[in-house]
Amino acid sequence: MKLASLSTRIHPSGQPHDPALCAGSGSFDFHTVTWQADGFGFDATSGEFFTASPAALIVMQALSEDMARQQILDRLTVRFEVARSTAERDLESFLAELLHIGLTQESI
Amino acid sequence: MNASPVIAVTGLHRGENPQPGSAVIRSLRRVYPELRIIGLVYDSLESGLFSEDDAPDAAFTMSYPGAGEEAFWERLDAIREIERFDVLIPCLDAEMEPLVDAPEKLRERGIHACLPTTASFKCRDKSNLAELCDRTHCRTPQTLAVSDVNSLHQAALTLGGNVFIKGRYYEAQHAITPAAREAAYWHMLEQWGAPVLVQENVPGEEYNVIGLGDGRGRMLGSCSIRKMLRTASGKGFGGMVVRDPQLDAIAQSLIAELRWNGPFELEFVKSEGPKADYCLIEINPRFPAWCDFPSTLNCNLPAAALELALGWQPREPLRHASPGKFFIRHAIDMTGDIRDLAALTTSGQFFRQPREIIPHQAVSHGL
Repeated sequence: MKLASLSTRIHPSGQPHDPALCAGSGSFDFHTVTWQADGFGFDATSGEFFTASPAALIVMQALSEDMARQQILDRLTVRFEVARSTAERDLESFLAELLHIGLTQESI
Repeated sequence: MNASPVIAVTGLHRGENPQPGSAVIRSLRRVYPELRIIGLVYDSLESGLFSEDDAPDAAFTMSYPGAGEEAFWERLDAIREIERFDVLIPCLDAEMEPLVDAPEKLRERGIHACLPTTASFKCRDKSNLAELCDRTHCRTPQTLAVSDVNSLHQAALTLGGNVFIKGRYYEAQHAITPAAREAAYWHMLEQWGAPVLVQENVPGEEYNVIGLGDGRGRMLGSCSIRKMLRTASGKGFGGMVVRDPQLDAIAQSLIAELRWNGPFELEFVKSEGPKADYCLIEINPRFPAWCDFPSTLNCNLPAAALELALGWQPREPLRHASPGKFFIRHAIDMTGDIRDLAALTTSGQFFRQPREIIPHQAVSHGL
């Protein structure tokens, strides 16, 4: 599975699938969001809800567990048939986008 | 007092801008299904009169608050000659002030009510919110009260031009241009009188907290939501339960400072950014229109308010609604009968009769 598309899949429900619209969504906190297996996430503190692709779900769960980049890559390559170099490139791009739209505060 | 108390509720219109009365009735009947409830209405077309589920047993027209306090009390006495109600649950901002200012008039009539003191009522007034927030270290948008057009524009410029123009009791209009500001100003002045309020615009998500204060600084119960859907006028049309310790702490500190007695709704905006704070927009001194939603989640605040007003022992502690439960408002059509309308219009009173049901023949057609 290619990871390149995962950044376009996470979005607050009820809004268009454009991650740019999430920009500055300061209420998002990886530690307070609970994710269901189907990729539906709910933040009980802010009342926001989200959907994520299977690949994005793995990354989001890993971020909520404060995993390091290498550990996230391990998870992705175990779960999906993808070359580590491809996964690394796509993860990098995804994390950069999360940072850019304000969902993370610093580079992982 | 009647052997079984009779309750009077106001604010029964659930139109585009729904009033809370019908939701209060629905909540009361969840716990006390046999309760006799009367509606005090300002218009014979208040939609709650014609509801199947949450209509009052009888209704009486009231004099408008604008007709003055004397007319208000006279009409209340005339209604009590016919239907001696024991508890009053006011649901409209405009009728709160005369009641809060004269609790002795209610007491001498033997009417129980759950009302704040004059001091705490004034402290939460839109024009005094900044002082209250100073004392409780809560953020609030800068708000200026104006009574003429020059001050309106001056205030808007001071606040950066992008502002909300708000009525004294209800309504807010977003205004960026001088023309829009002026139109909103005249509208608010005409509808709600002076002063008109000019409030800094804080963009962000809206959060509301409904609760019941015991008058000694404690909250007997509360439920917090994020507004999920909003009407064109900014009214919540859907809300999701949230549980944020920061929001709970702010609500508790405001209610403790006010020593608030009775129902309330706190309205907040949380602006964007990782370190955003909740910003208090206003405090409504009554139940909001969504007050029946927490009742479906074992947090029946209207029933608790009734028990508080009557000095009854609460049935059980109010629970916290679970995050993830949400409400969506659903508008449906009510069927009325011209006889009911005629009764209210001509005699100012209406007693609910069993509905005429036109039965539908069941058809199967192989379904």
